[in-house]
Amino acid sequence: MEDLAQIAIEAALKTGARFADVRIENSATTIIELNDGVSKQSLSSRLKGAGIRAFIDGAWAFAHTTDLTKSGMRATGASVAKMAIATRKRVSEKFEIEGPSVQARSYYNVKKPFSKTTIEEKMAFVKAIDDQARDYDARVSSTRTIYGDLWTELYLANSLGTNVYTQNSIPRIISAPTAKEGTNRQRVLKSLGVRGGYEIMDSDEAQNIGTAAAELVIELLSSVSVKGGVYNVVMDPILNGVMIHEAFGHAVEADNWPAHATVLEDKVGTQVGPENLSIIDDPTLDGMRGSYEYDWEGTKAKKRLLVKEGILTDLLHSLETASRLNLEANGASRSQSFMYEPLPRMSNTFMEPGDWEVDELIQDTKSGILLCSFNYGYTQTAKGQFMFQASHGYLIENGEKGQMIRDVSLAGNILEVLAKVDAIGNDFMLDAGTCGKNGQAVPTMTGGPHARIREVPVGGM
Amino acid sequence: MVDSLLAIGEKAVKLAEKLGADQAEAYLAQSRSFEIEAENNAIKAASESRDVGIGIRTIIDKKIGFAYVTTLQRSDVEEAVEHSISLARASIPDPAFHSLPDSLSKYHNAMGLFDKQIHDLTAEATAELVIRVIDATKEVLDGQDYAIEAGVQSSSSVNAIINSLGIAKTEPRTSISLYSYPILKHDDDQTASYEYQISRRLDEIDPEWVGKSAGELTIGFLHPKIIEGGEMPVIFAPLGASAILGRGFADAVNAEEVQMGRSYIADAFGERIASENLEIVDDGLLPSGIGSRSFDAEGYPSHQTSVIEGGVLKSLLHNSYTANKDCVDNTGNASRPSYSGLPSISTTNFIVSPRNGDMNTFISELDKGVVCRNTGDRPNMTTGDLSAMIIEGYYVENGEIKHPLKNTLIGINMRDLLKRISHIGNDSRTTYSMVTPSIVIEHANITSG
Repeated sequence: MEDLAQIAIEAALKTGARFADVRIENSATTIIELNDGVSKQSLSSRLKGAGIRAFIDGAWAFAHTTDLTKSGMRATGASVAKMAIATRKRVSEKFEIEGPSVQARSYYNVKKPFSKTTIEEKMAFVKAIDDQARDYDARVSSTRTIYGDLWTELYLANSLGTNVYTQNSIPRIISAPTAKEGTNRQRVLKSLGVRGGYEIMDSDEAQNIGTAAAELVIELLSSVSVKGGVYNVVMDPILNGVMIHEAFGHAVEADNWPAHATVLEDKVGTQVGPENLSIIDDPTLDGMRGSYEYDWEGTKAKKRLLVKEGILTDLLHSLETASRLNLEANGASRSQSFMYEPLPRMSNTFMEPGDWEVDELIQDTKSGILLCSFNYGYTQTAKGQFMFQASHGYLIENGEKGQMIRDVSLAGNILEVLAKVDAIGNDFMLDAGTCGKNGQAVPTMTGGPHARIREVPVGGM
Repeated sequence: MVDSLLAIGEKAVKLAEKLGADQAEAYLAQSRSFEIEAENNAIKAASESRDVGIGIRTIIDKKIGFAYVTTLQRSDVEEAVEHSISLARASIPDPAFHSLPDSLSKYHNAMGLFDKQIHDLTAEATAELVIRVIDATKEVLDGQDYAIEAGVQSSSSVNAIINSLGIAKTEPRTSISLYSYPILKHDDDQTASYEYQISRRLDEIDPEWVGKSAGELTIGFLHPKIIEGGEMPVIFAPLGASAILGRGFADAVNAEEVQMGRSYIADAFGERIASENLEIVDDGLLPSGIGSRSFDAEGYPSHQTSVIEGGVLKSLLHNSYTANKDCVDNTGNASRPSYSGLPSISTTNFIVSPRNGDMNTFISELDKGVVCRNTGDRPNMTTGDLSAMIIEGYYVENGEIKHPLKNTLIGINMRDLLKRISHIGNDSRTTYSMVTPSIVIEHANITSG
């Protein structure tokens, strides 16, 4: 792979590019999905190819190819450079790409590699989880279970002399049953996704995920829709993570700075939340789905303290944003696959725990809602608007957890919401996620402690 | 290349049969696309993507396997066939699986899917479109503090489907999309909006309109306010209607979701589920339609399917599997993410039949209510509950727009929303997922704060 990458880089530089980089990927995926005990999807895939970028004077060009021959790499390297040169005359801001030269080989060893586990063993596990959800209660009317694993080998090199080889291994199991009682129908989705080999599926959490999902969907049959209004909201760790991710994390991706596309543009070094609030994005955590050793540009992964005691202190950088803002790259550049360009992205993002006992937090809230888990969320950083939806929750009445509620949406403004966080729990948990940006999905984790936000609009039926 | 796609597919199907498949299907696709992106009022990046791959579905004793690979090299294709076969062998049989589609049905050609001008478009000419869209946006925002993001994507592709029952189909298609996303600062406020166009024909793209509209919309969203909530009418502009119906209703008439009991309209077949004036057709043969194709993702002929007529649910959307399971005609709605997945079900061109009036007349007739230009939300498909943020919208009083909205949510169940459609306009536009005019909902629960 090294010589193929060098051929492409040399061809790009010879054609006139100032900077070039190459990512060569070899990935294998397996997906097994059962619906009602029957195979719905048994899929295997292999992604093999290279993504090549060339840069000159502020103009980028990118192409990907599956022609991994010397002549194919040479041709793509040259044509990408030509595209960058043609774009150069139209750019308005000239800059250079700077960064260190990194040499590394990073092997990721797991106890049970996916390739050493038979398809029959994986199928039997998925079947067991699917049966588990259905057998839990007669009201479970339909089951859906999905197992997926992804093994990736990535080699990347650039014209600064960087060459880095990395490996990654991420499995996931999802149970999504539907329950029915009369005309009342509910569905949930429970997932476990961390970093590791097939041994993760031997854990208690994985082995019982069908039961956990079924238990929740049956409980949801007695839930009600919440009445719309402005509430004091206590978020559980999962939902807190989603709030941090949507309402804050995207807005500190540093590509928003040259584009003037974030409401936080003038806020670096200023107070964005209360003094007890700290927010971290950390790709170096052991065994987490959003973790990696080197980013997709070869920069060593680093813990990022985004908010320290309420002050916005750091951003998520790629080589480009660090070069343009005259800062140091901090290893936040990621791509979905060789078919995409790397962008500044989050990894494992969370709020630091505070000192409230969770029970006390609920008691102290008196009247409000406790929101749990999530369906989805999205944000528009240029406008500062975000929304996310809890899959379920509970009314808090007289300081006690009461009636179960479902599908609760919360809308807000990035600049306003963090200031409304007024109490942070002392517990902690991270949950698996997948983050989308510009059509690229990357594995992430989000979480934190329970936390309370005062006076936020909650949608109702 | 078309011949060789079919030939590679034939070989893969034959190999699968030799290795023991009762039936096999190969889906191949090859595409070339250009993308130009602009940031802060200037072009910044260009990319060219050449994508090719093959996905192989094999069936052994009603057990289904699938594998794909991102090359067409012989050894890779053979490995994918072998993986597909071993996955089929290890799978759990699906008694409801009957057969892949055969080649006996009659095909109609979908017209206007390929535009040679798009196919031949150079990176240079593509960049010119982005410059025009930026210039048109700038003209509207002249003298203000702005940063325009803009982009264009053009694509020319061909797919091929080959199966054991004699289907061997291939079709070239082109498309182009263009957008402008201005960010505007004024006093202490910052806002953004966007406009776009998507088409299969280059001569339908109007960069000046996209730029002008994006600029004007953005100015209109400065200084948003919250309002006092409550029950009130909602006008959905075409993009908003497309988000709500194109995602929130289209998935509810997906036969697979209905069969699994996961859709909020399960059991409503033949019943009146919507306002009498609502008519929705799924038309896979609409000339130059974004969702048009002569055959679906399993090679079955495209159809025109009446989904709602006079408010009554007439048909669900099927692929071969769900049609066989329900013993009804296949509607030709199989879809897949190119070669990289199994067929599921999706709309082709999901069209709300236009009636009278447009968004402006609806606003002028409104005493008090909100306009939702767009939302990123979708309902809970099982319960139908929709809680949607008005990502772009206005508050209306006495027939006039008073101000843009912030932190405002619409709450309504989709079954009620469908029944409460009081007006359907004639200002139809093509979006990524639909062709729809503005629609008015009598009332929904609005929360703002």
